[in-house]
Amino acid sequence: MRNATLILFFLTLAAMVRLNAEDLATGEAVFNSNCAICHGSEGTGGRGPNLHGPLRNGDQDSDIEKVIRNGLPGTGMPKFDLEKDELHALVEYIQSLRHASPSGPHPQGDKVAGKRLYDSSGCSRCHEIDNQGGTLGPSLTRVGASRSYEYLKTSIVDPSADIPDDYQSVKIVTRDGKHYQGVWVNEDSFTIQIRLPDESFASFDKQGLQEEVHEKKSLMPAYHFSDTDLKNLLSYLSSLTGDTQTASDARREEKAR
Amino acid sequence: MRLTILFAVLLCLHSADGADVTYNQLAHAAEHPAEWLTYWGDYHATRFRNLKQIDDHNVAQLRLAWLFQTGASGSSETVPLVANGVMYFTTPESGIDAVDARSGRQLWHYQYRIPKEAKYCCGNLNRGLAILGRRLYMLTPDTRLLAIDTRNGSLLWNVEVAPSTGGAYGGTEAPLIVKDKVVLGTAAGDYGIRGFVDAYDAETGKRVWRFWTIPAPGEPGNESWGGDSWKHGGGATWMTGTYDPALNLIYWGIGNPAPDLYGAIRPGDNLYSDSVVALDADTGKLKWYFQFTPHDVYDYDATETPMLLDLPWHGKTRRLLLQANRNGFFYLLDRETGKFLQAKAFVKQTWAKGIDSKGRPIRVDNLDPTSKGTVVCPQCAGGTNWMAPSYSPLTRLFYFNVREGCDIFFAKPPVYKEGTSYWSTSIRAAAMEHQPGRVTAMDPLTGETKWKFPLYSSPWAGTLATSGNLVFAGDEDGYLMALQADTGKLLWRVNTGSRLVTSPITYELDGKQYITMPSGNVVLTFSLP
Repeated sequence: MRNATLILFFLTLAAMVRLNAEDLATGEAVFNSNCAICHGSEGTGGRGPNLHGPLRNGDQDSDIEKVIRNGLPGTGMPKFDLEKDELHALVEYIQSLRHASPSGPHPQGDKVAGKRLYDSSGCSRCHEIDNQGGTLGPSLTRVGASRSYEYLKTSIVDPSADIPDDYQSVKIVTRDGKHYQGVWVNEDSFTIQIRLPDESFASFDKQGLQEEVHEKKSLMPAYHFSDTDLKNLLSYLSSLTGDTQTASDARREEKAR
Repeated sequence: MRLTILFAVLLCLHSADGADVTYNQLAHAAEHPAEWLTYWGDYHATRFRNLKQIDDHNVAQLRLAWLFQTGASGSSETVPLVANGVMYFTTPESGIDAVDARSGRQLWHYQYRIPKEAKYCCGNLNRGLAILGRRLYMLTPDTRLLAIDTRNGSLLWNVEVAPSTGGAYGGTEAPLIVKDKVVLGTAAGDYGIRGFVDAYDAETGKRVWRFWTIPAPGEPGNESWGGDSWKHGGGATWMTGTYDPALNLIYWGIGNPAPDLYGAIRPGDNLYSDSVVALDADTGKLKWYFQFTPHDVYDYDATETPMLLDLPWHGKTRRLLLQANRNGFFYLLDRETGKFLQAKAFVKQTWAKGIDSKGRPIRVDNLDPTSKGTVVCPQCAGGTNWMAPSYSPLTRLFYFNVREGCDIFFAKPPVYKEGTSYWSTSIRAAAMEHQPGRVTAMDPLTGETKWKFPLYSSPWAGTLATSGNLVFAGDEDGYLMALQADTGKLLWRVNTGSRLVTSPITYELDGKQYITMPSGNVVLTFSLP
């Protein structure tokens, strides 16, 4: 009888482990096919933020589920319509990734100094934060929430390493020899629309073009800051999470000095 | 007196002719360019019309004749029917509009309301109607067959095709009238259903026969499914078939096996998934089948148009069945016997080393989708898909929209649960880069491409060929375009404002030729000034 109980116990345990392994396999597949493209195959971040360490919107299973189900407007995180089982398996897998190799906190810089550097380096000519600035480059209002620290760093020192689809640089030469350079806005079989450096739009009929080159190079120049400056700038950018408070706080803090 | 009776009889006959659509008309639909009487335009699905008022010289003047706003939400996948001067089309929200085909003025509207408690699989969309006598037939999203009076839009009857309780089945396609029967199939292969092709009595709505696309134990073909996997084997029949009146055979394309990308659960060839079946029109009995992709793990449904053409093959006219398959190959079969004749790749494909003499693909090893992802071409949505091709007997070219590019295919072991998707991952495949497309004109006998017209994005719209040396095609960015049929030169285009997900039609009334294309929630009709 005791043996039977013991066997039953081990059978149940084996079944639980198996179930868990299956869930993880499901979670891994769902993660790879849905999440890895932005968060990296290990969840350490890419275009999307690092999932290791504390998460901005909560670390509990229910918090993660909520973000996946509803998305985060303005950050590039879409909502995912997953079957219940798959959603559970995915959350379980994300948690397992996070616990497997928790990454340490990022180096802390001086975000006020970072903001000064941002302003003095002319970033706002092309980028806007809270509707202040240019539109040639991506908005940075929520960049701290939507991009990983490492991704932001690469974007500054090597902007061409990864260019979002809607900010590809395009070179156009018309049949009458006019040259244009701008940011890709829209395109179809017959026409292409770009944003020119002066922020106006231009549209071209493809039949009237001599050349249309989708350049792999970003229009943004590479910046070579000192380690401290870079750390400060990254601290500032990472603090931009779309919570309008954050940006205005930084402005207020700066004024107070 | 006798003359009066004769006159009265003639009047009756005439009025009956005026409002009715007969089977004889359907069987000769291609010869009557005033109308568009079936989903494909004719039983053979050539989508060619001998109409040349609009031709390659004057098509540049084509302009809007009328447009009709249905007010429904969703993208219109309907192919309108035109009969006796009236155009009938469905909306994505299960409505039917009858409009004057000359002016676009509404004659009546019918709205089907899906019961609140109905559970069904595939969202609200509809690809069109069938017509016979004074009746229209519509398959609803909750898999019911409706008969509607063509004269006023009254519902005549409403019968169940598949239960709408478990949430597994779904109806999307236009039915096919064969003699006195309404033939149709079901969507939802990826919900682990067991697919079928059904025939209903056009008069009463009573089911006459059913062909199960997945054979049960004891039936030939069941041995191609390991264990109990046949029970949820999919094999949906979500696109309208074609019919050869001379052979009395119905040809239907069968969808992918379920689960789609994870094959280990269903060892074997998985008949009759990814096949075309030839069914006796009177009994539904299987005459022959041909399987394009045995044991598919890429979701390569064989639901693309099975076009029927009589063409010279090795010096003799042969009854052929042509299909540009989602798996990237263009096939020629003998449609009397199902014998494989030829297959040629029409798009980059990496999953097969070739096709053997029996038509069976020679697979590339170790290319199954995994949880880490496997790159395979063509893309998961196929080298082409359900958008209609066309064939012109004048240019002897086959015109079809091609989807280029590859996908990363993901898979994991799924668990079947009724009413939920039974596929391998939620996003099954992801594109690595922007996927373009093209309109291709191909010699169907050699597989040789005569010309191609590049499209920015992989298209979902079909083509139409006319004797005006024109091919009309649509693209993903909303352009309806006219290309010169023999050269592929662009002659006319208009942006309709919404992605195009159906195929254009043409008809002629009062000596005026029209081109109609649904786009978004609008039906647009064009003519010369």
